[in-house]
Amino acid sequence: MPQQIKRLIIAFAVFLLLFLVLRQVLRPDSFGELGHFRAKAIPENMKREMHYTIADSCTKCHKEIRAEKDKGLHSRLKCEVCHGPGLNHATYAGQFKKGELPDSLKLYKPVERKDCAICHQLNAARIKIQFDTINTTMVHQIDPLKHNPGDTDTKEVFKCIDCHNPHQP
Amino acid sequence: MEQHLQDLYEVLSKVDGYVYPNEIELNWSILIVLYPYITGLVAGAFILASLERIFKIRILKPTYGIALLTAFSFMLVATMPLVSHLGKPLRAYEIMITPHSSSAMAIFGFVYLWYLMVVLFLEIWFDYRRDMVIWANETTGVKRFLYKLLSLWTTDISPKAVALDNKVGYIVTVIGVPSAFLLHGYVGFIFGSIKANPWWSTVLMPVIFLFSAMVSGIALVMLIYILLSKIRKQVIDMNCLDTIAKYLFYILIIDFTLEGLDQIHRIYVAEESFEALHKLVFGQLFFTLFIVQGFFGTIIPLVTMGTLQFYKPNESIRKMIYMILPVLILIGIFFMRWNVVIGGQLFSKSFYGYTTYKIGMIGMEGYLMAAVWLIVPFIILSFLLWLLPPWKKIETDHDM
Amino acid sequence: MKKDNNTLTRRDFFKAGTILAGGVTVTAALAPYDGLLFAAEAPNAKGIWYGIGIDINKCIGCGKCANACKEENNVPKAPFYFRSWVEQYTIKNDGTIVVESPNGGIDGFKQTVPDKDIFKSFFVPKMCNHCAKSPCTQVCPVGATFETEEGIVLVDENYCIGCRYCVQACPYGCRYIHPEKGTVDKCTLCFHRLKKGLKPACFEMCPTEARIFGDLNDPGSKINYFLKNHTCMVIKPNLNTGSKLFYNALSSEVR
Repeated sequence: MPQQIKRLIIAFAVFLLLFLVLRQVLRPDSFGELGHFRAKAIPENMKREMHYTIADSCTKCHKEIRAEKDKGLHSRLKCEVCHGPGLNHATYAGQFKKGELPDSLKLYKPVERKDCAICHQLNAARIKIQFDTINTTMVHQIDPLKHNPGDTDTKEVFKCIDCHNPHQP
Repeated sequence: MEQHLQDLYEVLSKVDGYVYPNEIELNWSILIVLYPYITGLVAGAFILASLERIFKIRILKPTYGIALLTAFSFMLVATMPLVSHLGKPLRAYEIMITPHSSSAMAIFGFVYLWYLMVVLFLEIWFDYRRDMVIWANETTGVKRFLYKLLSLWTTDISPKAVALDNKVGYIVTVIGVPSAFLLHGYVGFIFGSIKANPWWSTVLMPVIFLFSAMVSGIALVMLIYILLSKIRKQVIDMNCLDTIAKYLFYILIIDFTLEGLDQIHRIYVAEESFEALHKLVFGQLFFTLFIVQGFFGTIIPLVTMGTLQFYKPNESIRKMIYMILPVLILIGIFFMRWNVVIGGQLFSKSFYGYTTYKIGMIGMEGYLMAAVWLIVPFIILSFLLWLLPPWKKIETDHDM
Repeated sequence: MKKDNNTLTRRDFFKAGTILAGGVTVTAALAPYDGLLFAAEAPNAKGIWYGIGIDINKCIGCGKCANACKEENNVPKAPFYFRSWVEQYTIKNDGTIVVESPNGGIDGFKQTVPDKDIFKSFFVPKMCNHCAKSPCTQVCPVGATFETEEGIVLVDENYCIGCRYCVQACPYGCRYIHPEKGTVDKCTLCFHRLKKGLKPACFEMCPTEARIFGDLNDPGSKINYFLKNHTCMVIKPNLNTGSKLFYNALSSEVR
């Protein structure tokens, strides 16, 4: 075989061999078992940290509030819808005495006007008619400025919760 | 991070209409405009070289060596804008070890390696081997070592060996032509196959990319040849330049026709994306599309080169034209890539709004970074021209 | 005697037959490499096959779903990164369409078009459609995004190279690049909750049960009841993504 061809073949063979070795070494171990992806990615996705729990775990400690809520129009609202993710609180808050709860475990208390307005502000896109009687999705809507303008003389702003009990509105 | 968020808020304030929240930030930046541009230059320069080698247009011989070395220099840099754009650049090797067969992008690693190693490297190798062996004996030190290394320590430069070099080099070039089409065609397919984006999704995209690549590569080699001859104070072969201009003209006509066809079809068919795209083209893209790419990058070169086919002014005027035209074309083709890549992300896939592209001077995806990736190939080319000067080669007779 | 013009011999016949058989065998062997036929894969006929239903008639645009998603999955709070968001469509009397999604709907919506100009208005919650023939998994160059056998499209953030090809390929705008991690992120249908028997956060938090999901292979599931009793559509059906997110009362303006 001519000299240059022989040298070239050797050079390319070395390169190819190097590539194949690297490929074996670098290929992730669980790749290809279930498809063209790392099979270990599935358990990795399963191991994510949760932040939301379910309503029943709040009821374990807050029985009275749950009973109150179940009687009113907010019965289908889960606690975390207004109070935010509660898994941490539900898991760890029980060991603290009342009044000694650290800030990191406290949940958000939606007491401001804007917190109620998120669902109850008058909006043309919000349904105004009732679709079914079992699971009514109609939301009572108000114009906050008309419904609760505050004191026109002292300019004091009243909160929605001054008149409405959020757990039994 | 803070600066990045600040930029995004600024873009948010300029959003016109409605875009999906995740579309506010553009995903593919100027670096992704650069990649098809650079591989286009590579493919185009190679096609010019193959016009001489395979189609035996001997007038182009003065540019043969320059074309190959230019293609090689730019090819070495081609991956860099891509890798530097990745969110996880250190994982870039994954594309070589677990390529996903249904993804056009996965082909990148292999097509790139194939083209770099087998086509470009081998063609240059077979063309220069005899000369490298001779030069190794004429020099000392580092240069001698480089020649020895690059020629793989071969010593046989008998007429039989040289004839074999010639023959194998020819075969490599023949394989190289469809490889060049693949190298740049697949980039066009990457865009053309995205059905979610109507600005990109067209059957013509790979072909348009290919022909505009040929135009840009040929223009580049033309420009480099003139500049190099001026630097070296050598006589410029006007016949060669006139012929290059002729082929440039023909290919530019094809490119213009294809792009025109794409737009005419789009306007005629007027699918659901039409109104949104129409507003984009006459709005944010007006300057880069109609003025830079269209008028300066295509119409003026077409008219000029068309006129040159019938009326030939004297040599010094032609030389001037042959220096200005490639610059116009190179800028025009760059903006063609810009209009495709950036333009395709400026409108929302909801067809209800537009975002803007914020680019800075510094930063990993800024103007300076892009300029670096455009300048480095010229530095490499200068080095290669010093190491493997085409004008010092023994003239190989490409007629077999 | 008539001249026999048929010059085909037995040898020719066998030769052609072998070539044909060989060709068929070879192409059959190449079947695993049918990447080009990706878009024609059939959905999972056995086992769980998740589908999602969203009832536009029930959505009140409170944005609690979008907020819950961000809290549950540690999504960056800036308004450029959403796994799930809510849009408000307002079709005016003159025919123009206004679409808004201020911070994805997390802070609620303010009505910007006066009542008198409104022809109709509604909210559209958006999230990953977990397409059966997802274009995003088709284009991933390294195999960092995939569909599980239950029909959920997931991302392998330890393998993703951040090339953003999948973000470009998704017709629904569901993917984004995490600004700190540099890899792609998207709705996982709260896979980590599903495996513990819990609902995804956005479904759990919806006060009007506008979002439901379930097993499309189970005739008695909520999603099949939803599909049977409503007129459902997917967004951009012409793109044949096999979207498994079915909307009830989807108006023609929605993209």
